[in-house]
Amino acid sequence: MSRLRTVLIAVMSLVVLTACSGAGDGSSRELTVWIMGDSSDRFQELVEPFSARTRIRVETVAVPWDSIDQKFTTAVASGKGPDVLQIGLSKLRAYTRSGALLDLAGPTLKGHPGLAARGFVDRTALSGGHASSVPWSSDTRVLFYRSDILAAAGITEPPRTWEQVRADAKVLTARDGGGYGFFIPQWDSALPVIMTWSMGGDIVDAHRRIDFGDPAFRRAVDLYTGLYADGSVPADGDFDQVQGFVSGATPMLVSGPYLAGAISEAAPELAGRWAVAPIPGDVTHTSLLSGSHLGVWRTGHDRDAALRLLDFLSEPRTQLAWYRLDGQLPAVRSALDEVRHAAGPQAAVYAGQLSEARPLPQVPDWDSRTGKALLDALNSIVLTGADPGTALRELSAATRGTSAS
Amino acid sequence: MSRQIIPYAFIAPAMLLLLAFGVLPIAVALLVSLTDLDLAGLGDWAGAGYVGLDNYRSLLADSAFWQAMANTGVYTVLGVPAVVVTSLAVALLLNRSEGRFFRALRAFYFVPAVTAIVAVSLVWGYLYNTQFGLLNHLLGVAGLPPVRWLTDPALVKPSVAVVAVWRGTALNIIIFLAALKAIPREYLEAAALDGASELRRITSIVLPLLRFAIVFVTVTTVIAWLQIFDEPYVLTKGGPLGASTSVSLFLYQQGFSSGRFGYAGAGTLVLFLVIAAVTLLQVRARRLDAS
Amino acid sequence: MRADSRATTAVVGAVLGVGALITAFPFFWMVSGSVKPRSEATGHPPGLLPHEPTPEYFAQLFGRLDFAAHLLNTCVLVLIGMAGVVITAMAGYGFAKFRFRGRGPLFFLVLATMMVPVQATMIPTYLLLNGVRLTDTLLGAALPTLVSGFSVFLFRQFISTVPTEMIEAARVDGAGEARIFCRIVLPVCRPIMAVQLVLAFIGSWNSLLWPLIIADDQRHYPLSVGVSLLNRQIATNPSLQMAGATLMVVPVLIVFVFFQRSIVRGFTLSGLR
Repeated sequence: MSRLRTVLIAVMSLVVLTACSGAGDGSSRELTVWIMGDSSDRFQELVEPFSARTRIRVETVAVPWDSIDQKFTTAVASGKGPDVLQIGLSKLRAYTRSGALLDLAGPTLKGHPGLAARGFVDRTALSGGHASSVPWSSDTRVLFYRSDILAAAGITEPPRTWEQVRADAKVLTARDGGGYGFFIPQWDSALPVIMTWSMGGDIVDAHRRIDFGDPAFRRAVDLYTGLYADGSVPADGDFDQVQGFVSGATPMLVSGPYLAGAISEAAPELAGRWAVAPIPGDVTHTSLLSGSHLGVWRTGHDRDAALRLLDFLSEPRTQLAWYRLDGQLPAVRSALDEVRHAAGPQAAVYAGQLSEARPLPQVPDWDSRTGKALLDALNSIVLTGADPGTALRELSAATRGTSAS
Repeated sequence: MSRQIIPYAFIAPAMLLLLAFGVLPIAVALLVSLTDLDLAGLGDWAGAGYVGLDNYRSLLADSAFWQAMANTGVYTVLGVPAVVVTSLAVALLLNRSEGRFFRALRAFYFVPAVTAIVAVSLVWGYLYNTQFGLLNHLLGVAGLPPVRWLTDPALVKPSVAVVAVWRGTALNIIIFLAALKAIPREYLEAAALDGASELRRITSIVLPLLRFAIVFVTVTTVIAWLQIFDEPYVLTKGGPLGASTSVSLFLYQQGFSSGRFGYAGAGTLVLFLVIAAVTLLQVRARRLDAS
Repeated sequence: MRADSRATTAVVGAVLGVGALITAFPFFWMVSGSVKPRSEATGHPPGLLPHEPTPEYFAQLFGRLDFAAHLLNTCVLVLIGMAGVVITAMAGYGFAKFRFRGRGPLFFLVLATMMVPVQATMIPTYLLLNGVRLTDTLLGAALPTLVSGFSVFLFRQFISTVPTEMIEAARVDGAGEARIFCRIVLPVCRPIMAVQLVLAFIGSWNSLLWPLIIADDQRHYPLSVGVSLLNRQIATNPSLQMAGATLMVVPVLIVFVFFQRSIVRGFTLSGLR
């Protein structure tokens, strides 16, 4: 028993020690920042000049992508959150509505000129009645293509219109050795929306409500289902896009800059045999504007310090430094222009595409409701042979009236 | 110390923890299920309103919920017999010998229980992958067409269930082994002397003595499978088209991803009642069976 | 007859061996994947063994993670988990060997906790831990899963097979209740203890959800959370993740191999045969 007691005492003292060590000294100013994924070390490096200048310490906490919902929800429930947090764009509206974030509209931002809406790529971000975040990094979608495989099939230029995409995909699918022409990720709810935009339409009506009745959306559906009907895209939902592109099974696809990193890492020898091009389009070449924002916790203890950090992070210099450290495209216009002119042909395509990109409609819950309904409808047509008319009527019924402010 | 309080002193620490982290949450779920609590209401409880049984009404009218219920039923029907039979069979075989080789094998059978869920999703996702996976590669070598293990709505449930069976047997093998060790050797030796064959010794001595262990493993396995979450979550996120969504996963999506806590609370309570009813039925059936 | 039986054992051994290889195949795949260079990991057709094994991903893992701090946190969690086994044994003893008012309903509550869907418990549990100021402590991260109805039930079942006379005899000799529990009940419980300790070890070693939710500070993350940070949103690096997963599994396997002897020995010592 005495051994057991020793163990118990040891455990308890360790627990107490660990509990106390987190308390800190409390005298200096300190901010806690939640950063997604594994880039917290790089973020810490990024804010060093800020801490040196302002004597405000920044404590970065990395939150795994998979767990942000639990972490945020429990923080809202207890009212105990970080001072500043990174927010994926698809979560923005839900998090704003939770009331946990500081309202950044109007007077709050006085004295922080760097945070004015006009400086950002996404001008809509800080407008409207309840802005609760500032843009932090940009992301978009472009066309990736294997120039070697396209050339071997007699295609010298990447397709500029969806019509060409479909034709080229057919040619590529028919090439010797099998494979496909294009790839549609079955989990990507943005692609059909991008297709709708580039057909000259929208999925939001004049009253800012979701509306899948636009003729351009119907054309986008025909394109989406047509690619499947042609046999130009793999029907397996678990198809790996990196592997598909590297192996050449799918020599064209639409994806974001992160894919370029994954390709270079997986197959450095492929350099020069693939390239990126702007999103194809029949009417426009509009792509998706996504990325992440930064929000301030409403009940945080040092609002002034949090806003000063936001100000620092929105400086073009900082944004460029982050692009170099982490590869995330800037959300600030002037920094993005610099990337466009100075960072090589690929980055120029991304930056150029960002000047013709728009965010998904800000519905209450894109990922698990509106976007999911859209994907379910399209996938039921192409995978289970559901009647398109019925599937689209159900989609309209399920989403009609969803506000998209 | 008064004699009456002794038992309470022994059970108090565990009881407190169980009440706080097991019983209280279901009471909270009951209360929340009568409100329209969402993410905003969570920060400021005044924002949540009483809605009576509305959540239950819309839940019972929600085809996605029924799909999840049906999927969970399929999982349970496929998985529980597989887990119980496999783990019992492996335990019986492992118990044949105390040799080094047999003891070493136990570690192999225990591997799935200790494998982190991240690894489970990576490795099995790879094995099942339609285009680049090992299973389809082997099928290809044998001249057979590829199979869409995780993306065919009809196949996805069995595929996910296989992974859950793989993970679920390890612990039950240990429980059965422990129960087998507790059977007095004399019984078996006496029967062997009487000329009973090995199969006969197993069916007429070992299995009846394992009755309790079998019931225990069956009941706990049923409870676990009615709550199946990890495997569909990491392998398919519930897809394709909801074909692999379990009730637990559905509740998680409604609660944490969509912030509909009232709705998820109602679903939680329904799932809890279903599990309780199924468990009671089983226990009662065993009792009738025994008398 | 003997030769016949030996032949059967050999056949059974062969069958079990094949089964074991199939069961453990994903594990071998994980280990082999953790040392495959990136080009091989995404190669097709899949190679079973790496052609040019590389320690690169383990090096990356140690470089990116604050390994020592994470490991220390994990060890504290494991130790608390072990203490939980003692609490559970106490409850099992209380339910097995005492008759008291409310025993039936209380035990029913214990069983009912097994039926509560885990996803439902998260928010109430967090609010409770926050209320008693246990957030951002490892104790808070360990408490929600410290005791389970399943384990209490197992202990009660096991202890009810212990002859009551042993306990009564000690009581007649004037031993105190705590002494009886420590000197008689716990030693007899060895086999079930071994099983429970292994379970508690695995549970706390792999526990991911609560340590993550409870921690306000990255320094309080255990290894499991540290490894899950490597999981990128879309573009993943399979080799790095395999290395992380391998790092997590191997210690558990060592503990199991070590403990399984004491499980077996526990049975021979328990006097139950």
